Amino acid sequence: MQPVRAIDLGLMTCRVCAQVIDRATVGANVRCVRCHRVVTTRMRGSVEKSLALLIAGMILYFPANLLPVLHTSSVRGSSDSTIIGGILEFWDTGSWDIAALIFLASVVVPVTKFLAIGLLLWTVRWHSAWARHERAKLYRFVEFIGYWSMLDVVVVAITCSLLQFKALASAEPGLGIVFFCAVVVSTMMAARSFDPRLIWDTPGGGA
Amino acid sequence: MERLVAPIKVCRDCDTAYAEVELGRGELARCRNCHAVVARHPHADIDKALAIAISCAILFLIANLTPVLGIEVAGTRTEANIWKAVLSMGGGWTTLSAAVLVVTMLLAPMLQVLLVIWLLSFARFERRSPGFAQVLALLHELRPWSMTEVFLLGSLVAIVKLANFLPIDAGPGVWALGGLTILLAMLARLDPSSWWALEHLEKP
Repeated sequence: MQPVRAIDLGLMTCRVCAQVIDRATVGANVRCVRCHRVVTTRMRGSVEKSLALLIAGMILYFPANLLPVLHTSSVRGSSDSTIIGGILEFWDTGSWDIAALIFLASVVVPVTKFLAIGLLLWTVRWHSAWARHERAKLYRFVEFIGYWSMLDVVVVAITCSLLQFKALASAEPGLGIVFFCAVVVSTMMAARSFDPRLIWDTPGGGA
Repeated sequence: MERLVAPIKVCRDCDTAYAEVELGRGELARCRNCHAVVARHPHADIDKALAIAISCAILFLIANLTPVLGIEVAGTRTEANIWKAVLSMGGGWTTLSAAVLVVTMLLAPMLQVLLVIWLLSFARFERRSPGFAQVLALLHELRPWSMTEVFLLGSLVAIVKLANFLPIDAGPGVWALGGLTILLAMLARLDPSSWWALEHLEKP
């Protein structure tokens, strides 16, 4: 059975409260009758916004990895560590499980998001009908994994609040963590700016 | 022009339109096309959700008023919880990260819990809370920015990280965070977006 699409029925749906609105009964620029948020048939400038945020995230990912995220000093001297440096340190001290966890949250998750959102935008841009169901799943997966990248930010913050023993041992956050935070926020916003309905807006969409 | 008479539900992920169906208790309807959840049984278990939300509020207080982690070295004791972690990022450019932490670890979960309690304590007495629509819309928008579970996992990583060379201990806050994570997940499963069905309630 061919699915019936709301856009073809002249209906639009509120992204926030799921209220269905008959486009014929309202003007072009409307707010939802129920929650008063702006309602459109498709999110306005979805691809452009999402792409801009994605590129911003990818650029910010460089300083996030090159600059130190943690500055520690103790009686044995002081050191700066980057995200990758911290992972290697865990690995070297035998905590391979923690190393794997942080690697997953700080490297695998952001890179997966870059590739996934990039793929979604690219295929939508060319009105591709390729693997629609899989892309729909990929979109939901990206939304689901998004915020776990904040893990390293939390670890750095907790470490800094605990290691406050003056000359004996102390820790301070490095500039890299600011860029890393910005990567998480911008990629989350990129995923949320993407309108998943565009995947099905292709000839024979919703099949 | 023809008008549509049947109540219609639309899949938010792929825009497929469906005639609304009557769902049984605990049932949910998935999109035939893309398998996203289109509708859930609208009769939210208000008492259950309210009980969970109030427990969340209590655990949230414990998690923020007691230490999550602590270290004692040569008579000096340092402690960590959400607010202290935020403060340690304060000063200079890293204040920007502190701001993100305040929103995601403190404000978003706190507001979420308070708004649910507000909404449901009225709904419990068959009343529609003041600002009903705004509250539910805000709940929807807050959801992705609430990251309590990430703080819990971060605390556990910090224990392993520092336990190698410092005597680190877990405070009551870590248990409160654990409970909070579970309860917030249960609350999310009750699906606040289905509470739009409470719209028909009278205004107080």
